[in-house]
Amino acid sequence: MSIGMTQAAFHPESSALEERWQTLSRVMTTKAAIAQTPKELIWSLNKARLYRYVPVVSPEKRHSVPLLLVFALMNRPYILDLRRGHSFVEFMVNLGYDVYLLDWGVPGLEDAQLKLDDYILDYLPRAIRKMKSVSGSPEFSLLGWCIGAILTTTYAALRADGGIRNLILLTAPLDFSNRSDVTFSRWTDKKHFDVERILATFGNMPGEMIDYGAKALRPVDNYVLNYLKLLDNLDNPRVVESWHAMNTWVTDNIPMAGGAFRQLIVDLYQNDRLMKGELIIRGERVDLNRLRANLLTVIAQGDHITPPCQSEAILTKIGSTDTDLYRVPGGHIGIMAGSGAHKLTWPYIDQWLGSRSQRN
Amino acid sequence: MVQNSGSSTPHEAFEGLREMRDAYLDAMSKAMIDVVNSDAYTKATGSMMEGYLSWATPFRESLDTIMRQSLEQMSLPSRQEVAVLAERFTNVEMRLDDVDAKLDEIARSISELSVAGEVASTGEKKSTPPRKKAPAPKRVTSRKSATSRKAPAGKG
Repeated sequence: MSIGMTQAAFHPESSALEERWQTLSRVMTTKAAIAQTPKELIWSLNKARLYRYVPVVSPEKRHSVPLLLVFALMNRPYILDLRRGHSFVEFMVNLGYDVYLLDWGVPGLEDAQLKLDDYILDYLPRAIRKMKSVSGSPEFSLLGWCIGAILTTTYAALRADGGIRNLILLTAPLDFSNRSDVTFSRWTDKKHFDVERILATFGNMPGEMIDYGAKALRPVDNYVLNYLKLLDNLDNPRVVESWHAMNTWVTDNIPMAGGAFRQLIVDLYQNDRLMKGELIIRGERVDLNRLRANLLTVIAQGDHITPPCQSEAILTKIGSTDTDLYRVPGGHIGIMAGSGAHKLTWPYIDQWLGSRSQRN
Repeated sequence: MVQNSGSSTPHEAFEGLREMRDAYLDAMSKAMIDVVNSDAYTKATGSMMEGYLSWATPFRESLDTIMRQSLEQMSLPSRQEVAVLAERFTNVEMRLDDVDAKLDEIARSISELSVAGEVASTGEKKSTPPRKKAPAPKRVTSRKSATSRKAPAGKG
């Protein structure tokens, strides 16, 4: 009798606990529904895929200059289209932009020799050619995020006459001269980091090692606080769904092609060749002064992966006359996928790009 | 949050503990950031990696050798041969992509020409200008195209 009464008294609490446990086990063991904005595949080469997002605005109301999104090589690009109602892609498509996304794909061992040269001069120009053909616009805008910003900046400098009108860089690691404030620069120092041995062993740089490197920059935040945030908010569906989507992306690690990783470490992190004007891409020297496109660079003030000092110097090196620097509070990913992104970063990008996306 | 009750809920009882926990983790977070940014940590991870590679590299090499020999005995292509084949496929794909782009260009030129032809023929039907004046539009067209070529360069 007394046991039954106790059970009845605790019943609401135990069912709430059970519900929380179910929520926890669901978000830890399943993948969230991500990348939901409708798109069509319009081009592919090796593992790379170019998608066009289905426009929702009538052609006469649409911006005439298409926008190509280029994300990093070592992460999935669907962070730009994370989940319904919280997607940069969806936001831009709804505002009438003709949006394209270049997905580099997952490199296999057969791609271990792929270099930045290949991505910049074989893959990117071909994807752009296809985008121009589909959109019918000779001019286009490029948005590069993280390593994607290195690729797009280099492309924009090497192929300045190729029709690029606007270049948007998000948390762009371009300047590697300040070694003391960039943790990755310390870790990848020649004395302690033998890139040749790593690549000789693995071929490509394993996704798990890249993931560990990124998380180890803020170990307590990534390995403890992140999960406590979920546990504290198991009753809050908004936080849970957001966490689930982000965790799906964070745990979806992919390797980076060995050749490209070697260049990233040796040419950039160890020798800062891009800013010094010494970077050679397939025999061509990358002269940033040749970059003439309108440029917006977005800097995350709390970025520990690409500290602000890595993205500031570009403005003094390029030949563009129309340049803008926008500082946003937040971290490397948070400025585009965090809860404040739709209030700060996205509207700013739209405001900047909209006025520069009309046909002349 | 709950104002109408004098007794504290289990959540409120744990609130103090949670605050302590957060303060502790915040301090830990800051301390750990300092640790991972130190030279000692860089050296330690460097030597850990070195230690790992010192056994992983020879192990992997011997595994590759065994695998290559076994595949050879079974008349199957090695990993390297498959990689070379994949590279050739990519090259073929690139060539096909170039052909595809050229076909697109040809198709666009043809459609532009046919549109221009239709415009010209309807223009001829509407008015029959004297034949001597025929070359005039050509000059205008070439001047226009020269201007439009300059425009992007000026912008840039």
